[in-house]
Amino acid sequence: MSAVVDALPLAKPESPLRRLGREFFSSPVATGAFGLLLLIVFLALLAPLLSPQNPYDLAKVTVMDARLEPGETSSAGFMMWLGADGAGRDMWSAMLYGLRISLGVGVASGVVALAIGTAVGLLAAYRGGWIDALIMRVVDLQLSFPAILVALILVAILGRGADKVMIALILVQWAYYARTVRGSALVERRKEYIEAAQCLDLPPRRIVFRHLLPNVIAPMIVVGTLQTAHAISLEATLSFLGVGLPLTEPSLGLLIANGFEYMLSGKYWISFYPGLALLATIMSINLVGDRLRDVLNPRLDR
Amino acid sequence: MVFVIRRLLQSALVVLVMSLVVFVGVHLVGDPVHILISDEMTQAEIDAFIHRLGLDLPVHQQYLHFLGNALRGDLGNSFVFGEPALKLILQRMPATLELAFAAFILAIVFGIPLGMYAGLKPESPASRAIMAGSILGFSLPTFWVGLMLIMVFAVMLGWLPSTGRGDFGTWDGIRHLILPAFNLALFKMALVTRLARAGTREAALQDYVKFARAKGLSPSRVVLVHILKNILVPVVTVLGLELGGLIAFSVVTETVFAWPGMGKLLIDSIQRLDRPVIVAYLVITVVMFVVINLVVDLLYSALDPRVRLKEAKA
Repeated sequence: MSAVVDALPLAKPESPLRRLGREFFSSPVATGAFGLLLLIVFLALLAPLLSPQNPYDLAKVTVMDARLEPGETSSAGFMMWLGADGAGRDMWSAMLYGLRISLGVGVASGVVALAIGTAVGLLAAYRGGWIDALIMRVVDLQLSFPAILVALILVAILGRGADKVMIALILVQWAYYARTVRGSALVERRKEYIEAAQCLDLPPRRIVFRHLLPNVIAPMIVVGTLQTAHAISLEATLSFLGVGLPLTEPSLGLLIANGFEYMLSGKYWISFYPGLALLATIMSINLVGDRLRDVLNPRLDR
Repeated sequence: MVFVIRRLLQSALVVLVMSLVVFVGVHLVGDPVHILISDEMTQAEIDAFIHRLGLDLPVHQQYLHFLGNALRGDLGNSFVFGEPALKLILQRMPATLELAFAAFILAIVFGIPLGMYAGLKPESPASRAIMAGSILGFSLPTFWVGLMLIMVFAVMLGWLPSTGRGDFGTWDGIRHLILPAFNLALFKMALVTRLARAGTREAALQDYVKFARAKGLSPSRVVLVHILKNILVPVVTVLGLELGGLIAFSVVTETVFAWPGMGKLLIDSIQRLDRPVIVAYLVITVVMFVVINLVVDLLYSALDPRVRLKEAKA
């Protein structure tokens, strides 16, 4: 096996992925943001291992620890270096678990919305005609209202619960993906390789998925990244307003809301640290997304 | 004139479609009896209620019934307050509009000078700081910024009240307004800054600006008269379109600052399952949105005839 690899010519042209990586990491800000994002994902994934307390386990949480200040020692003997909330939960543990939920909901709803939006956008671009007109009218109508309003309408109609919030986030986001994918697919469709594929009498399914789709992936990645940050922010806002995720699964937004009443009496840490975590997440994703947009689309002048 | 009629018809169509969405959402997705009837009613009252709402009719007649009631302004009574839902929303509307307009003005008063400065001196450190700030303004969640404002200016410094609304027009009222208005304005301020910067950079290269300079006009006159006038139209147009967004986002700001407007009423109503109020809010907001979009479109086409011509060709 290694003999085959060694036999390959050394001066290989740079692969697209490697070029992407090199250009991406040439910006110190983007590199820092990427590192921060990796750290956040790592913290969220390993939350059960990194937190001294399971914040959902009511047997481990005691009111005796309520509103301990950062750096004080809990009754169980570990140091609460971000303090405790009104119920005596260790803020560091609650924050890690909240981060897990916020990221999970944001990414999962983003992926589903991406799939729906891509399918609809490709359909509109490839078929054209009245299907395209109908789809784009629906997209335009939805995008003429701010995302927060659409999400509130949906939550008001659907009711509370994690699944309902997910549905609302998906329905809010699909239109952005559909518009982006349709836009780039329309440009690609007019190019010669699609014409060639059509002349070869390939089935439409093959043309759409094997020829059209790979060429619209770049804008999808960019919109997907930025939209995920948006979804996380939106979920946090809904949860903060008390119409998002249920109390049993506190996401960052809900943690911030819980600490709000204490903030007025100067106990800042219950709201402040989850807020900082939310902020770091949103900002790092946004910075990575911005850099990806610059790298993947050099024609775009800013 | 054809353009105006077309736009009016389009707007009416949007309202109709949205009424269908709200109707389907409230009357068909959920059980309308559950949604619209409070727990304390007797069976006879429930039957009478079902009949009054026309829920024993076929679906298409139910929709017409809903539409007819809505046109007469009858959107049901609030379960919590026992008053017409529409009246409750309209009572809260002035507070929301006060907040939204204050934010609108703040966004213009701060956004345009900052954007123009950044556009005139794109390389200076202050301009870079302004642009970095505008990115923050775009990406920070509104509610979090609101909390930080309360923490710094109300709790730590004690300069301004943290929540509530004072009497309109008094010093106390203004003091209560500052933090929420700034919070709501931040996002739009970032937008105006970017628009004003782009507009200034473009205008600064135009012949009429060069000519004004060559004529020996003072730099301040060139900037304040020749450039400002020309960037004002696009900025105000976009901001006009965003007025609806301000009203939608006031839901968040009103909740953070306990500002007694429509948005806070909506959140309270969602939490109390006060469905008639929710429906009334949706109807009012959709109509408001459509009217704002219509007015801005018409104003824009009056200011820039190219829009009309493009529409006529398409």
